[in-house]
Amino acid sequence: MSDLLHNTLSKHFGHSAFRPGQEKMISQVMSGRNVLGLLATGGGKSVTYQLPALLLPGITIVVSPLISLMIDQVQQLRARNKIPAAYVNSSLDPAESRELLQEIATGAYKLLYVSPEKLQQPYVQSVLKRVRVSLIAIDEAHCLSQWGHDFRTDYLRLPDVIKHVGNPPVLAVTATATKAVRDEICDLLHIEAEDVVAQPLNRANIALDLAEVQDEGERRGKVVELMNSLQGPGIVYCSTRQAVDVLTATYQLEGSRRVHGYHGGMNSMERMLIQQQFLSGDLDIIVATNAFGMGIDKPDIRFVIHYQLPASMEAYAQEIGRVGRNGEPGYALLFSSKEDVHIHQHMLDREYPTQLQVQQFCQLLSKGIAITSEVLAAVDLSEEMAGMLSFYAEKAGYISKPGTAMPYDQEKALHIWQDTQVRKRQKHQKLFGMLDYVQNNQCLRRSLNHYFEEAEYSFTLQCCVHCGLDRVAYVGDIPQKQEKKDEKPWNLRQALQTLLPKR
Amino acid sequence: MNSHNSAGEELDFLCLVALNAMLPLSNERTLQAAFYILRGRKANQTLQDVHLYSLYPYYRMFPRFTKEGWDKIVSTLLQKGFIRTVTRDEQTKKSTFWVTQAGKDFAEKESDRFQLNFWLAPFSQSDMAERLGLFWLRLHLIVQTVSHLLAGELGFVPIVSDKRTQRWARTQLHDQVSRVMWRDQLEEELFELLYPLPIEAQELIVSQLSGAAQVGKTLEQIARQRKETPSYLQLPFRYGLAACILRLQQESECFPLLSRLVIETHKFDSRLTDSAAKTYQLIQRGLGKAEVAIRRNIKESTVEDHLVEMALRCPEWDYSDYLSEELGDHIVQTSEQLQTSRLRMIKDQLDDTVSYLQIRLALARRQGEKVK
Repeated sequence: MSDLLHNTLSKHFGHSAFRPGQEKMISQVMSGRNVLGLLATGGGKSVTYQLPALLLPGITIVVSPLISLMIDQVQQLRARNKIPAAYVNSSLDPAESRELLQEIATGAYKLLYVSPEKLQQPYVQSVLKRVRVSLIAIDEAHCLSQWGHDFRTDYLRLPDVIKHVGNPPVLAVTATATKAVRDEICDLLHIEAEDVVAQPLNRANIALDLAEVQDEGERRGKVVELMNSLQGPGIVYCSTRQAVDVLTATYQLEGSRRVHGYHGGMNSMERMLIQQQFLSGDLDIIVATNAFGMGIDKPDIRFVIHYQLPASMEAYAQEIGRVGRNGEPGYALLFSSKEDVHIHQHMLDREYPTQLQVQQFCQLLSKGIAITSEVLAAVDLSEEMAGMLSFYAEKAGYISKPGTAMPYDQEKALHIWQDTQVRKRQKHQKLFGMLDYVQNNQCLRRSLNHYFEEAEYSFTLQCCVHCGLDRVAYVGDIPQKQEKKDEKPWNLRQALQTLLPKR
Repeated sequence: MNSHNSAGEELDFLCLVALNAMLPLSNERTLQAAFYILRGRKANQTLQDVHLYSLYPYYRMFPRFTKEGWDKIVSTLLQKGFIRTVTRDEQTKKSTFWVTQAGKDFAEKESDRFQLNFWLAPFSQSDMAERLGLFWLRLHLIVQTVSHLLAGELGFVPIVSDKRTQRWARTQLHDQVSRVMWRDQLEEELFELLYPLPIEAQELIVSQLSGAAQVGKTLEQIARQRKETPSYLQLPFRYGLAACILRLQQESECFPLLSRLVIETHKFDSRLTDSAAKTYQLIQRGLGKAEVAIRRNIKESTVEDHLVEMALRCPEWDYSDYLSEELGDHIVQTSEQLQTSRLRMIKDQLDDTVSYLQIRLALARRQGEKVK
């Protein structure tokens, strides 16, 4: 078995050896067991379902919430690994989906990527029921858990879908999960404790640092200075778009490196350009909200600075996990001040509805009118909040048929509000977990790993600020302010041939 | 570069553009109307204003304008004495505005300095703003795709994530023959297309494109590099794209590949918005406006907006169910006598039985004939 796996790995993926954890996960899955794999981001999660897909007789379904990641992986699988793969998600129009599903029914594909919401559709399920599904892989499996920091409502029904397509073996993979989240995933997907394959979360090559600041001026000054001096490339994470804009503008005036901001308020083309510039080395530092990073793989990132306190330890671990994937020394520095907690509390207050808002929403449902953006604006509800309320309303059985009125149900409305309050409290607790990390004076590596209930604290270069840390080790060459010297006269022919070289 | 100065220049330029867009609306519309035009709101009232006052170049010039940004421009213009506001209606607090002589002088002088008339000249078609967006997405994606094709790299991240554009590009490169054509001829066609443009426009377009050996820059990055205001760079950039579109339409035989970028395939009726086109289909089947509203589950006032759009763009539509020939002429005469397109003022002059819809239809029809 081991030979077969290694041969397939080198033939189709061009790797000579498995990375830690991969082989164990794959052989458990191949022997028909349900498996939960915890691999650090960039730890090679995709191989653990792509390789079995090649060897198993039927089709492998990969459930993933990230459309861009899906498209990317499918293109790579087809081009590089010569594996027949396809995806079904909202980017296809109905005709394309139908055509593709017919091809799937004939057994033309070995791997199919599906978004969780597509998987709920009866037509998709009926096609999958007819073909032989050998394996269901669930990417970002922490989205299943209500205790997770990134719970997604469309993941909740996955266990039913698995049953519906004939109970094939399940491989759940994720990067970060606390004990509670793991337990919930295992419970939902019937995974035995011995089939949990965990890679230590501890990243030995990343040094952990903290800095407390009194005011905004001090914070900005220190961060700008570090952006100039630390060995890059790097990412600076901010809690709000406004902070991204202000820090970027300040740095572009004072700093000497190539820096750009990135957040959800920019249009998608700008965001993609900035992301690609960073990946290709045209930019040294990205200043971003947490919108940046999911699904990007840049192995040479050397530092992550948190401009403000992140919302949870899970988010923090994931964000600093982007440092030093190539094994080079990495540096993670977290800035915090007393006000940071208030920013998060304010954001939580805006994110979750008041009791009045829940009542208003339920009254809208009772009237049986279609929930449009105008209707929502009239009662001052955001579309995100309406989405959340729709989910909890459905869960509470408060379902309206458009066009038919029904009596307002106060009890159910109260129940919905309580549900949202439970979620809000959970998020508060996550925030306090983060606060605890910053305030207690223990080894940061120990607290971080302790939070995820792991007991691995080794480090390669330096540990953390409480164990003693010398920042100079992470300082790079100070770049000269790059004055634009490319004053070459414009040449259209040349410029076009750079883009579209003659063969 | 001093940040205060560059922010100041940016504001000056935006004030100039806003003032030019306001000029024809002076005494006729609210300030808000100018904001909606520059931001490119898709509401029918805005689209009709664009036609009525021939503000085509300004429509959707700054799609990302915020309300705060706009308020700042307005307060600057007020402060400099370039515009004044007047409250027209004490009850509704509706206010209009007018452009002062100082404002007109400023607009004239500064427009010359920035060569506004030159850069805005290609925007004589009503739907140019919309076509510009589509054209740019297609151009960006096809160049990036062909560039990677030439480099033999099939796995790349498309900068354009718009699904319709991606589908379009996929269709273009579907078969071997077309793929070879795109691969071998795109560079030459692109050269022919861009060569006649002012260098400024050439450079702006090409530096924003991405390929295997180059990641495109954002307009903001180019502006910073050149120490220009980002909003000003919109002018030569939009000029370049619009000029390309016009040329590809007129000389499509010289551009067998690139002319495909200006063919629209997804529209019901390219003259109308999709929603108005659906209404038009039902009206043609003989449904009344109330029936259309029920059938389509939209408000009757929305259907009325669609009717006005149809009167404007579809000369073959017989609107006599809604407006008689004589009444239409009478409304147009009234508007000309009063020298205004303000519905309220026209309505006050007319019989109570005349509806706003009828006035709007009459004005739209008049405008539709002018454009023809």
